[in-house]
Amino acid sequence: MLVSWRYKYRNSPMDHIDPRARWIFSFAFLIAATSTWNWIFLLTYFIIALIWYRLGNTTWKETRSGWRLVLFMLFMMIVINTIITGGGAGGVVPPGGQLVWPNGFKLFGETVHFGLTIERIWFAFCQVLRILGISMNFILIPYTMDARSYGATFSSLGMPDKLAYTTELAIRFIPSLARNFSVTMDAQRARGFELDDIKGGIFNKIARMAPLIIPVTMNAILSSEDIADAMDLRGFGQGKRTWLYELRYHRWDYIVLGFSALLAIGGLVASYVFHMGDFIVPQFFYNLFA
Amino acid sequence: MVEADPLPLVVRDLSFQYRSRTEPAIVEISLELHPGEIMLLAGSSGCGKTTLLRCINGLIPHSYRGKLSGEILLYGQSNAGMKLAEISQKVGTLLQDPERQILGSYVLNEVCFGLENLGLPREEMIRRGEAALERLHILHLRDKETFGISGGEKQKVALAGVLAMQPKILLLDEPLASLDPASAHEALHLFRELADQGMAIMLVEHRVEDVLTIEPERIVYMEDGRICFHGDIQGLVQVVDYHRIKLPAQVVVERAKAEPQPNFEPAVPPLDTNNPLIEFQQVHFRYNDDAPEVLHNINLKIHAGEVIAILGHNGSGKTTLVKQALGLLKPTKGKVFLEGVETHTLTVAKAARTIGYVFQSPSQMLFAPTVKEELSFGPKNLGFDQETIARNVQWAIETVHLEDELLTPPLALSFGQQKRVSIAAVLSMRSRILMMDEPTAGQDYWNYQAFMDSILQMPGFDSIIFITHDLDLALIYANRIIVLNDGVIVADGKPVDVLQDRQKIKQWRLVATSLLELNFQMYPKTGKFLRAEALAQFMD
Repeated sequence: MLVSWRYKYRNSPMDHIDPRARWIFSFAFLIAATSTWNWIFLLTYFIIALIWYRLGNTTWKETRSGWRLVLFMLFMMIVINTIITGGGAGGVVPPGGQLVWPNGFKLFGETVHFGLTIERIWFAFCQVLRILGISMNFILIPYTMDARSYGATFSSLGMPDKLAYTTELAIRFIPSLARNFSVTMDAQRARGFELDDIKGGIFNKIARMAPLIIPVTMNAILSSEDIADAMDLRGFGQGKRTWLYELRYHRWDYIVLGFSALLAIGGLVASYVFHMGDFIVPQFFYNLFA
Repeated sequence: MVEADPLPLVVRDLSFQYRSRTEPAIVEISLELHPGEIMLLAGSSGCGKTTLLRCINGLIPHSYRGKLSGEILLYGQSNAGMKLAEISQKVGTLLQDPERQILGSYVLNEVCFGLENLGLPREEMIRRGEAALERLHILHLRDKETFGISGGEKQKVALAGVLAMQPKILLLDEPLASLDPASAHEALHLFRELADQGMAIMLVEHRVEDVLTIEPERIVYMEDGRICFHGDIQGLVQVVDYHRIKLPAQVVVERAKAEPQPNFEPAVPPLDTNNPLIEFQQVHFRYNDDAPEVLHNINLKIHAGEVIAILGHNGSGKTTLVKQALGLLKPTKGKVFLEGVETHTLTVAKAARTIGYVFQSPSQMLFAPTVKEELSFGPKNLGFDQETIARNVQWAIETVHLEDELLTPPLALSFGQQKRVSIAAVLSMRSRILMMDEPTAGQDYWNYQAFMDSILQMPGFDSIIFITHDLDLALIYANRIIVLNDGVIVADGKPVDVLQDRQKIKQWRLVATSLLELNFQMYPKTGKFLRAEALAQFMD
């Protein structure tokens, strides 16, 4: 069965903003945040995102599974890609730069030369601001947006009806998949299967995951056929449809829409017209390593 | 001269063969359905019942391709040229599993889904949606999440979604399969009410005995895609093989008198109450801190020699209870011991050496390229040697009568066969305790009785535990019945003691069957509960 994200009405300020205005704000934020590497802009966006996030009144307990995933990805991106290999900084951070340990450092009696630069550390900080800001916008949606509103919202934003409803189903497919995965995991554990026991190389590991992957995939295919049948039997996709969920803009929504336009257009103009969005390291940060 | 109104449904010489199959699924089916009539469509799994429904509601040929011939008239008009949206306003279909039919995340959205597709104005949708909920006496569910309501309520919500479109013909595909006995009887009476209001209903169902209580006007019995019987109840009980479909116990007893008596002796060892295999001590459970408690103060000991049926209404906590024994769920408060070891200290894989647990849905676990490999998976995980694995696989496959399918991919089998493979996959682990969650759901009568007989007669299990909604299954096979009601054990004991009080049975949302009544009548002679065929030998 298709399940929904754990939405609950909290009577929070976010509950009173029209879903269309919320989606528009989140995408405007995404445009603005991805158009710059300037720390002042990113810090400003981060503060805006933090205020926006607080409007949702969610708790850490509710959202922690989503945040765990974000923090894991952030760790991989920042620590491994940017700090250790320097890969993520290419194209933004100019080559060269000021080494943090120009003479290397001692580890177990040996001198280690590690080419970490001050610029790469600052770039990692900018990445954190950008990713956390964007994540705060989108993590909030499943927990604070009524599951009934998705299709009507997308349709109202100009998506064709069929696509709008199937997008709604696709969004709900994620928690449904997680639920199916958990049931299959239990069924296979009951047959003595332990995920921790899987050893060997990457291909062996993937092959040994078959008892989990195949039933979950097959179920997803079968249930999508059932869903298609259930939709067909009630005349889906045969003509123009109406939506039960009622959307109505209020005064607050116009303020949000205006701010969204300002954010996206202002961000793009500042970055691409006035070239204010370039990556710079502030002097006070250099001073810390002096 | 006044011209008679055309009938809601006329099927003429209908045949269909799926594109991927070599044999036709249905052959030259002809029938008529009148307004206000209920037609029961019975037959074993794979006999073509669902295919016939798909032809009527237009899924064939719109969604399923193949060779179709013959004619279907809906109120005198062929459905061949109609769009699905047009058919869906004449023919409403309720699928077997409401979980697979419900699309909306909230009840009113689900009920109005079809109306949205028809492009109706919002006010009209709400009016028709609420009217449909009111008609089924579930208006109080209007703003609930569909995921959180019980199985019986889901079934009614799915039906409300169909009724909101105001069809004149209703097709019901095994609508009782996932319902507890009381919910099933409520649903049946609802169908009768709808028919009495003028709706034409075609009802596909394995639970024939239950359906007979609402006196369907016509009964069609199918085998191998053909109609073998078309008539009334009296004709059916005389003609049809009572091993194939479940008939009222009195009818079976009468007909079984002339036949050799079944020989059934369960193979579980004698009762040993000294060392409990499983013990629950003051167990409470909730799924998370915010969720309500599902199990309340469960105290229970399970011993070698017991065959236990766990009964209870939809959502009473049956599955949650048995999952505690295997350690798939851990108590929020209290302790569970498996052979004296607390499950908190055991991994599920270790517990699986003692308990074999068959899940409700086979598709959640089947993955291997062949049935043989599927059956070897569990024993391999438990570290058995090759010779033992081969022996266990052979024994398991014979128990479920699927010897010819050893090299077939399990996912290519029918649902009923997949269910038997999933049971065999657990049997091959040769655990001391076998736990089965709804082992007979979705199976036809002959198949489930055959494999339950096989399992109960196989030596090797110290105890067998099964969850069921089928009261007859419990009284035939179990020597102990546990009844759960809202997470509390409300009865625990011998079947004859637990099922004595009809008032309590009703309170627990169970329904006394004809077999139960007959067993109580015959109890002074038999001294135990027996299946209908076995009761025949005690009749004068």
